Amino acid sequence: MTLGFLLGSLLLSVAVWAKPAPEPVSILMPAPFADATADLVETFNREHPGIALSVTRGPLETEAVSDLAISSLLLGNSPYDALLMDVTWTPKYAKAGWLEPLEGWLGADALDDLAPGAELGNAFDGHLWRFPMVADMGLLFWRTDLMEAPPRTPAELEAISQSLQQDGKVRWGYVWQGRQYEGLSCTYLEVLRGFGGRWLRDGSPDLNSKAAIAASQWLRHLVDAGITPPAVANMAESEALQTFETGDAAFMRNWPYAWAELNRNGSLLAGKVGITTMVSEPHEPHVATQGSWGLAVLSSSKHKQAAIEALQFLTSTAAQKQLNLNSGYTPTRLSVFEDPELVRANPILPELQAALAAAVLRPLTPIYAQLSDLLYREVNTVITGEVAAAPAMETLQRNSIQLERSTGGIS
Amino acid sequence: MLRWRQQLWLLLPAMGLLSLVFLVPIAHYLWLSTQSQTVLTELRPVPAGAAQWIRLWNDSRFWQDAWQTLRFAGLSVTTEMVLGLAIALLLNEPLRGRSSLRMISLLPWALPTTVMALGWRWIFNDPYGPINQALSWIGVTPIPFLANPAITWITTVWADTWKTTPFVALLLLAGLQNIPRDLYEAAQLEGASAWQSLRRITIPLLTPYLLIALVFRLAQALGVFDLVQVLTGGGPAGSTESLALYAYLNAMRFLDFGYSATVMLGAFAGLLLFCGALAVLWWWIGGRQDLAGGQR
Repeated sequence: MTLGFLLGSLLLSVAVWAKPAPEPVSILMPAPFADATADLVETFNREHPGIALSVTRGPLETEAVSDLAISSLLLGNSPYDALLMDVTWTPKYAKAGWLEPLEGWLGADALDDLAPGAELGNAFDGHLWRFPMVADMGLLFWRTDLMEAPPRTPAELEAISQSLQQDGKVRWGYVWQGRQYEGLSCTYLEVLRGFGGRWLRDGSPDLNSKAAIAASQWLRHLVDAGITPPAVANMAESEALQTFETGDAAFMRNWPYAWAELNRNGSLLAGKVGITTMVSEPHEPHVATQGSWGLAVLSSSKHKQAAIEALQFLTSTAAQKQLNLNSGYTPTRLSVFEDPELVRANPILPELQAALAAAVLRPLTPIYAQLSDLLYREVNTVITGEVAAAPAMETLQRNSIQLERSTGGIS
Repeated sequence: MLRWRQQLWLLLPAMGLLSLVFLVPIAHYLWLSTQSQTVLTELRPVPAGAAQWIRLWNDSRFWQDAWQTLRFAGLSVTTEMVLGLAIALLLNEPLRGRSSLRMISLLPWALPTTVMALGWRWIFNDPYGPINQALSWIGVTPIPFLANPAITWITTVWADTWKTTPFVALLLLAGLQNIPRDLYEAAQLEGASAWQSLRRITIPLLTPYLLIALVFRLAQALGVFDLVQVLTGGGPAGSTESLALYAYLNAMRFLDFGYSATVMLGAFAGLLLFCGALAVLWWWIGGRQDLAGGQR
């Protein structure tokens, strides 16, 4: 009997061995995206018996995912074939030689179907490096039960806040991301553009301009005037959302994910929140910092063809529709934004599309992480009241110029 | 009797292992600090001479972080040693439920630092965290534990003290249990007060353990990274950034490996100087005490 069992298992293993093993493709994604795409991955594997797609559930925090990816890439033998990347990583990864140019695989017209704003930040140095799967942009959340229309200028935002605070309707006016981290650069960029300033002008830092000083001065002024709590100096997205969803603030700057959080069952603010773009001075644009997530194929991958198929499937119209319906993710394709079924299910879709059309990019350069580190560190100094806006922005400009010189140019 | 030659042979494997683990990376870092290896050189090392070291010397952020790291390590290790000794003395007493008390007091040490830091970030939240909630009940305005440069570094010391005091207490408790009971009985018979027993018996016999705890804690505190990264991200206004965090930023975020290695080596050189100064101080105090003892 033992002999029979052995013989049987031998035959079985030969049978398994003879069948060609499916080509393994592994994608690293931040945890929420890995969870949201689980169904899609299952469908893909059913429809593509020749490929075994697996998604590695990375950490929750953006930078922790980057650390994991970079560690594996530096060791030279990355277990991943593709990455879901934040928009700011693209030039750095491309310059390091870690990414596969996609235009040869996807065709030169690959980005044609994207909604305006979603096409930004995927190409660098004349090559296409990633394809956006989920769009993300900074939004101003406002309480529809407390006001008729959202403010459009900084002065209006202050006036509405203070009147609501005086009436005891809210404790705070406006909460945003002021912690010393990337989120502050996103917040600041929107205010900067709203005051008519630029992070880079003609490819060079322009952070001691009148507008740049006024923008950081305004952020500090919000704290001084009691519109924003001093705790903003350590507020990331979750802390801001926490203050807003308890009904303690009239306005919040955050990403689209907060919409779903605020409208889930049992939320205090369900049906009482509207979204719009950031306030700006008259005649200046209302902008939204773009923060999309896109798929990129690693140049070290041994399964590029299969990885491209997975990329095309996960960013397809059908996949984006499913991701929006089930997880509330913002699509990147124009046709998905205009899908009548989706617009019925998700009434803010047109407003998200408008915000995406107002998207601005953070500087697209391999040394973006250094530039941003200088910026959020110095603007945070202004917010805490340690240094006044003008001298802090002078320091920032000097440090940014020094970085530009020592690296031989920003882009 | 072993000849010195035999002793040397027997020492070789351990020395080989140590140099593999310590000397090789340091040598590699030394080489790296003479190179420019960044994302802009496409991660290929390009000889840079002394440029990285000149940059380090002129980098006010490096010096600021060095001071902040020292400040953090100094206050947290001092507090941990004092508290750890007090807790060890308490746990060494024949109390009821002593073993479960010992277990409980170790819990903070068993918690991963990241989890602990997330916990403190919530506890110190302004204004929803439990501490500020409690303060608001008694009518005190919320304290910006994590948003004020003058306060936040103390918050990081507090969180570190909470986590690592049990480690110090455990080491010292082991030392206390090695002190023979009859020494205390003899001292008591001679009419020594509790304070005198502590000063003349406990502390001197505990010195090797105190030293071990001090060395371990200093090494860890001077390399503090995860606690700060999660609790404050180095903020507000850069006031809690440590050297390890700065080196990490340079390597993992900026992909500037040459400079990251230089920062690490700069910190290492500072650490050697610091330990050297401590040793000299130790020797000087020790020498003076011997003198004082001789005169008595």
